[in-house]
Amino acid sequence: MLAHLDRKLLRDLRRLKGQAAAVSLVMACGLAMLIMARSLIYSLESTRAEYYQTNHFADIGASLKRAPNYVSERIRSLPGVATVQTNLAVPITLDLLGRTEPASGLVRSLPDVGAPELNRLFLRRGRWLSPNSRGEILVSEAFAQANNLNPGDTLTALLNGRRQAFRIAGIVLSPEYIFESRPGAALPDARTFGIFWMPYKEVATAWDLYGAFNRVALTLAPGAHAQAVIADLDRLLRPYGGLGAMGREDHPSHIRITDEIRVLTILSIGFPVIFLGVAAFMTNAVLSRLLSLQREQIAILKAFGFTNYQIVIHYLKFAFVMVATGVLGGVIGGIGLGHQLVDMYQLFYRFPDLHFRLDPIAVGIALTVGLSAVTLGVLGAVRKAVQLPPAEAMRPEPPAHFRPAFIERIGLATFLSHSFRIALRNLERRPTQALFTITGLALATALMIMPNTFKAGISEVLDFQWDVVQRQDLNLVLVEPSSARLAHELAQLPGVMSLEPARNSAVRVHFQGRSRQIGLRSLLPGGRHSRAIDSAGHEIYAPPHGVILSAKLADVLGAKIGDTIMLEALEGRQPISPMPIVALAEDFTGIAAYMDLQAINRFLGEGDVITGASIGLDSAQRANFLAALKEIPRVSSVAIKETMRQSFRETTATSMGLLQSIYLTFAVIVAFGVIYNNARISLAERARELATLRVIGMTQREVGAILVVELAILSVLAVPLGLILGTSLTTLIVGSVNTETIRLPLVFTLYTYTYAIVVVLIASTLSALFVLRKLKQLDLIATLKAPE
Amino acid sequence: MFRVRSLTKLYGEGPTQVRALAGVDLDLYAGEFVVLLGPSGSGKTTLLNQLGGLDIPTTGEISYRDTDLTHADESALTRYRRNSVGFIFQFYNLIPSLTARENVGLITEIARDPLPPEQALAMVGLSARLDHFPAQLSGGEQQRVAIARAIAKRPEVLLCDEPTGALDVRTGIVVLEALERVNRELGTLTIVITHNAVMADMADRVIHFSDGRVLSEHRNATRVAPSTLRW
Repeated sequence: MLAHLDRKLLRDLRRLKGQAAAVSLVMACGLAMLIMARSLIYSLESTRAEYYQTNHFADIGASLKRAPNYVSERIRSLPGVATVQTNLAVPITLDLLGRTEPASGLVRSLPDVGAPELNRLFLRRGRWLSPNSRGEILVSEAFAQANNLNPGDTLTALLNGRRQAFRIAGIVLSPEYIFESRPGAALPDARTFGIFWMPYKEVATAWDLYGAFNRVALTLAPGAHAQAVIADLDRLLRPYGGLGAMGREDHPSHIRITDEIRVLTILSIGFPVIFLGVAAFMTNAVLSRLLSLQREQIAILKAFGFTNYQIVIHYLKFAFVMVATGVLGGVIGGIGLGHQLVDMYQLFYRFPDLHFRLDPIAVGIALTVGLSAVTLGVLGAVRKAVQLPPAEAMRPEPPAHFRPAFIERIGLATFLSHSFRIALRNLERRPTQALFTITGLALATALMIMPNTFKAGISEVLDFQWDVVQRQDLNLVLVEPSSARLAHELAQLPGVMSLEPARNSAVRVHFQGRSRQIGLRSLLPGGRHSRAIDSAGHEIYAPPHGVILSAKLADVLGAKIGDTIMLEALEGRQPISPMPIVALAEDFTGIAAYMDLQAINRFLGEGDVITGASIGLDSAQRANFLAALKEIPRVSSVAIKETMRQSFRETTATSMGLLQSIYLTFAVIVAFGVIYNNARISLAERARELATLRVIGMTQREVGAILVVELAILSVLAVPLGLILGTSLTTLIVGSVNTETIRLPLVFTLYTYTYAIVVVLIASTLSALFVLRKLKQLDLIATLKAPE
Repeated sequence: MFRVRSLTKLYGEGPTQVRALAGVDLDLYAGEFVVLLGPSGSGKTTLLNQLGGLDIPTTGEISYRDTDLTHADESALTRYRRNSVGFIFQFYNLIPSLTARENVGLITEIARDPLPPEQALAMVGLSARLDHFPAQLSGGEQQRVAIARAIAKRPEVLLCDEPTGALDVRTGIVVLEALERVNRELGTLTIVITHNAVMADMADRVIHFSDGRVLSEHRNATRVAPSTLRW
């Protein structure tokens, strides 16, 4: 019995394939995004968890000035501590063949014999260090790739001022450096910063640290409380120059992945929901049109004794074919895009084996969500048809009731042409359908706002970071705090046009029971390089007393201007001192505090000391400068703005571009789908009316005008609504990207809005052209026949 | 006014081919009221389609005054329909979103020398229903709006396909009276297709159609007033 109904289903589908395809496509976009994002979250989370477990990633880590090795026994005996691993971390400057700019990095020590208890490495290529080897080194994969280094290559480095050549034994990965960046830098720069591993004996000898350690990692015993252990550890390490212990949630690499997952989570909820909403609207539109055309068929089926249930199931099947196609497209699209994004993630996140893993739950969610979206869309339409008594349904539908449109009733009728009236009254008679179309179109418009705002935000962060806040060409960091006289020496290097000394320090800020470990950065009175900027874009000058906080930091601490925080130094004599908040700085990456350079020195109880400098460079002299710099042993690292910008463009910008273009493509597809679908439906619904107009002598153009006017009215109403909706939606989503790592500013540009409007215009024009072409094929003779 | 020679129209191909017109020769003159009688499937509507410029014949020729409709292109046919032909359909085909006056006004907007919509509607006795929408009108009233719409452009030919087919006797007669009046007062060549033989009495000329050709034709000595017809 149902076999024939199914045949009818197939033929209906074939007839409505354009609309059905549009619905499936929109749904596929939403589901692809959902599956892609959820699967990426799943891939990142599960890969990270396995990596941490396999390679014994520590629960807590701490840096200190130096402590004798026996202190590790005392750490082990702290309550709640399970395993302890001590090691060394020292800065290194590299001299890479054929490269003028110096690269720098961090050398970590490995036990002379055997693997470390915690934070074990993963060997990607080459071999481990041979026992009691000298002159061998392991290199992090990101740095090796960026600099084209291979096992067996030689690397020249400055170790504590002594130049030495090393042979690369192997290329490795570490769970501590899944995200590898210069400490405090928001962006990766694998070309000029790397992590290296050498045997303890060799590192300790070169830096006069034999018998001591300056890093410690530990795991917690089951049931132990991390905060308590951190407090104990800080107390224990204080005499040894402890710089403050931190748990996994404060670990820079861990935070980066967690933040990435957080952003993905936001995107995996907000965006697909809108796509699926649009799909539901479209299903409803297609189905109610099909049902109104099949009014009599439904009546006949009922008259023959088919139950309402059978009829509802028949039309639900129609919708389910669209869902099935949509889900299939979504799964394929999600897997494809997911693979691409995983490849992109491999640029930033170094896992031994990061593969795309399809989240089976996401597919389940996709199916459920897709089904519910169309079921909702179908039920309303089917219910109406099923309620009809067969006898009534078999009569042709009486002419619909119309009345003058609102703007005619208020006396503007004389200005309207007949085609305009037809269009207006049609819209007004079916307000729900018009509202659905407007909503669908508005959502499609809204979707196009976010990706471009995302892009503009990123670009704003970079311009702000590199053109407004840091106007120097490069930053130098010294191996250790040095006399300010060194600044004069550095200023004599070739090409230095301006030099401003810097005194940066690791501190912890406390306010009403909350605290954060951050970098304290110096500001120079009248300085032209590093600056702090307030929310109005004005430069903030640091007074002799008081501290400027990142607005986000103040937010995290719950402090405001005028409050007094406790500033605790994590180095030197580690003074603690109350400090009033004098201003809030608007920064987008990381969180920090700023003080006058002299005020920092006073707070730390030091004389005229600097830890680095910012330099404005004559670009013509750049090579000379960098060559000369390599000879200054006290410089531990150099960050060149142009190099960072370049490397950012090649990596982050490209991948952000990928994500952005995926979203934008989807939004454009939806815009086309909605508009095309709407034009098709109004054409099909009114075929008889339009054919009549053609028969009584109107030209194709005149008849087309009616449809085009209708489409135009809908677009004119929907687009501004969509722009407003898109703005709020973007504010919500981009505003949620407000982590301590990065805060995206909301940058709504004319370009973003114009883009959305132009896409809707193009989609409308193409759909209108399509409809006009279809008008040619209108069956004029059918008007003479009885209505179907 | 119309000159039809050896007109044939074939639909489809091969074994499923249908011969709707099998060689029709016919002349139609200005001001005539012609009733085209014939059973379903006899080819009446197909002939009407050819006369109205909705379709082109397979072979033969058909011309309207000096215009060759056999070889006219789409825009020439549109122009022909727009200026010269008024259509009246069995199912009225009014635009539901326009009032009676506006349905007529739609045509007067595009015609060369139209009647004011009010005058056209007065001719079919609908002066009191100008601002009603189709849904607010009875079937007979809707058909009279359709007649007003068709005559408002002062067409030279009025083509009516079963104009009373969907109406009861009483309303049907009112509609026929409107057609008769238009024919009499405006001198419009009126061609009415029907399978209702009673209507033959109100025509100047009656053409019997069967199997795609003219079976016979005869001229009435006098036209009977529609009000006396009964079926």
